[in-house]
Amino acid sequence: MKEEIGLKIGLEVHQRLESHKLFCNCPSIMRDDKPDIVVKRRLRAVAGEKGEVDIAAKFEMEKGLEYIYEGYTDTTCNVEFDEQPPGKLNMNAVKTALEIAMLLNAKPVNEIIFMRKTVVDGSNTTGFQRTALIAREGYIETTQGKVGIECVYLEEEAAKNVKGEETSRIWRVDRLGIPLIEIQTKPEIKTGEHAKETAEQIGMILRSTGKVKHGIGSIRQDINMSIKNGERVEIKGFQDLRSIPKVVEYEVKRQLEIIKQGKKVDKEVRKANPDNTTEYMRPMPGSARMYPETDVVNTEITKEMIKNIKLPELLTERAMKLEKKYNVNADLAREIIKEEIDIESYTKKFKNLEASFIMRTLIETPKEVKTRLKKEIENVKRENIEMVLEVIDKGEIPKSAAIEILAEIAEGKELDLKKYKTASINEIEKEIRKVVEENKGAPFNALMGEAMKKLRGKADGKVIAELIKKLQ
Amino acid sequence: MKKDNIKEGETIEIETNSEKIKGVVIPSADKNKTVIKLESGYNISFEKKDIKKINILKKETRKEEIKKQEIKFNKELKTISVLHTGGTIASVVDYTTGAVVAKFSPEELIKMFPELREIANIKSRFIRNIMSENMRFAHYNLIAKEIEKEIKEGTEGIIITHGTDTMHYTAAALAFMLEGTPIPIILVGAQRSSDRGSSDSFMNMISAAHFITKTDFAEVGICMHSWISDESCFILPATKTRKMHTSRRDAFRPINTKPWAKIHENGRVEFLNKDYNKRGERKINIKPFKPNLKIGILKGHPNMHAEEINAYKKFDGLILEILGIGHMPTVTIDEFTKEHKKILESIRKLAKRTVVGVAPQTIYGEVNMNVYSPGRALKEAGVVGNYCDMTPETAFIKLAWLLSNYKKEEAKEMFEKDLRGEISKKISPDEFLI
Repeated sequence: MKEEIGLKIGLEVHQRLESHKLFCNCPSIMRDDKPDIVVKRRLRAVAGEKGEVDIAAKFEMEKGLEYIYEGYTDTTCNVEFDEQPPGKLNMNAVKTALEIAMLLNAKPVNEIIFMRKTVVDGSNTTGFQRTALIAREGYIETTQGKVGIECVYLEEEAAKNVKGEETSRIWRVDRLGIPLIEIQTKPEIKTGEHAKETAEQIGMILRSTGKVKHGIGSIRQDINMSIKNGERVEIKGFQDLRSIPKVVEYEVKRQLEIIKQGKKVDKEVRKANPDNTTEYMRPMPGSARMYPETDVVNTEITKEMIKNIKLPELLTERAMKLEKKYNVNADLAREIIKEEIDIESYTKKFKNLEASFIMRTLIETPKEVKTRLKKEIENVKRENIEMVLEVIDKGEIPKSAAIEILAEIAEGKELDLKKYKTASINEIEKEIRKVVEENKGAPFNALMGEAMKKLRGKADGKVIAELIKKLQ
Repeated sequence: MKKDNIKEGETIEIETNSEKIKGVVIPSADKNKTVIKLESGYNISFEKKDIKKINILKKETRKEEIKKQEIKFNKELKTISVLHTGGTIASVVDYTTGAVVAKFSPEELIKMFPELREIANIKSRFIRNIMSENMRFAHYNLIAKEIEKEIKEGTEGIIITHGTDTMHYTAAALAFMLEGTPIPIILVGAQRSSDRGSSDSFMNMISAAHFITKTDFAEVGICMHSWISDESCFILPATKTRKMHTSRRDAFRPINTKPWAKIHENGRVEFLNKDYNKRGERKINIKPFKPNLKIGILKGHPNMHAEEINAYKKFDGLILEILGIGHMPTVTIDEFTKEHKKILESIRKLAKRTVVGVAPQTIYGEVNMNVYSPGRALKEAGVVGNYCDMTPETAFIKLAWLLSNYKKEEAKEMFEKDLRGEISKKISPDEFLI
């Protein structure tokens, strides 16, 4: 069906880098406290390359909006406010961009030429975004075959929209100028599901560098899609990658409906809604938007620079290694990597514990508290789990007590570890003897269940089972 | 196809060992590189040695000329002449090649600042296209002559577009030259070029037009942003303004005085100082510069040498940017300061042969050479400028203009007299760091 309708999807991924700003030394810190400097500006549409005013620019201009820029005198500077030309290019960001380009099998350009991309929605104090082509013609492997990477760009993040009002728009410049990587795939993605997979794969590659920002909004995915007889539509604002297949499906339906009615699909930018439908956002910007950034000198990408880049092991490769080395399941290994847990340091610290037990306690036990014991686990912090691992490592409490202790922490109870103290072998034997005598003739499983009930958190199951067999 | 045989603006296809790539030829600063603009708008460069072949796909496509719109004369509106001297304000980028081109015709100006059409009838022509650091005295004479021509033709106000680096020098020069201007002459610059949506030129230009058409002001002034917001512009006094920042929109500040007026976003004019000459009261009399005069500016500093003063011995005049309230290292106090006696003698010699004026390197405040003995020594050596609060730039222009039009002894005397508002009658406590 997909092939008949001629569905073509391309992906644009934007990722903020973990470094200071691209053209000044300000830290890439986003804040929620009260700004202490406010500047008002009006942006005008200026004639584009062909003497024409860019359609997107004109659209914003006609709204006659003024823009308020808020900032912080201690973490933003004249560069963000467009009161000072861009300073020295952040070479750490350049190096990370090259590293990402190479992980995407893309060819770096000879020199980095920064351009001004006209934006008149007010998201840049300058009226344009500084952006440069870093590499071209790469690819990534997916289950559906290779997906081509058209380009990798390094650019400035836009200001953050704080509040929209009818005649004024408020932007905060703490976000403006954070180094941002844009990855553009070729329109070679076949389905919505494939788009999701591609986005996940690119996200994994980005995180593998360890040099990208985490948290809400630090990575954004836009989709470009078209069908036969339709038009290219850009969809922005995906909250969750899992929604991509549905959004694509609905958008295909919408376009098919328009075509069926004999109308033309508009080339436009649309926004993904929480219910997976899309709504109109703004016209597609024209191509007459770029001109050279004359305030920034070109940066040659030398062979030396490329040679000095050390490519990291991909997260998937690291997970696979863990899986094999400690014989844990793939999901657990992936989670350990995703959570950036250094398992080696844990095994060094807790010499009596197996790596697989440490991993399960860190990842799976809290989940079990939530799903099986139905308790919210906001209170369960990494340090709580480490404390539990420590007492188990010392032999003070049995392994089986871990979940109960975490459950109590989850409930915010005062901890009394004595309760879980490992019982002496004599005490255990006494208890089991009692169980066996009280349930004469009962099968092993029944005895085991009864004994576990009595001794939960005080003795390990293995020990109990052995004693039952001995005393039965 | 030979690699070097391509022209800017042509659409070509470059063949390298690994690929074919299409784009428009962009001028390259590096002879060994070919730069093309890709369809995506990004520029990309190739080492010429890596290019195997170039195919020209489309000959240069020049942009269509802007249609010559008939600009109708509106009897209800005043007429403003816009005279261009170059600089950032009239410059826009050629989007095809990335080169900066100047826009000067009335049509182009109206296209850039469409609001002007509703404020005034616009005449626009260009005098010279220069960056303001290239200004010389001869250019001042040229501008003054063009202004005179416009006044004779009955224009009701003049806007001079100007590069910002020396705009305050030109403003002072025009103020001295155009004795008795009957109309307002406003210099307008931009700290961000007009091809940017965020350019300050739009508001500066429109505010100047509002001010000219709405008031009876008839002096030389400068119109620039009052702060970094696009909220209001100042009309600043020609002889008491200085560029105080390399890049901010509000770089032009009044020194030891207040702005003439504030022009609000909606075009409302708020006067802050009403002590100005009114429209039509006076007759213009142009007193030009002698283009070949040699005037220098020398800053006093620690560890100075007499040779620095002596370097000006063939000059017609020198402005000393003195330290503090009125000092130069002119007193020998110990074994390390023997040079200072020589400095004083050099100043004395120079002041005898020509005119040595002083201005404070503190920028703000008035010179008073009576407060400490080194000041008195300077005065006694024959320098002029005591009790004056001219900026070094205005003092420089004034000295050059005086020596162009008056005898040496007259010039010395007039240097300390207020001629165009360049010396304050009084300085208020609130006139610092405005």
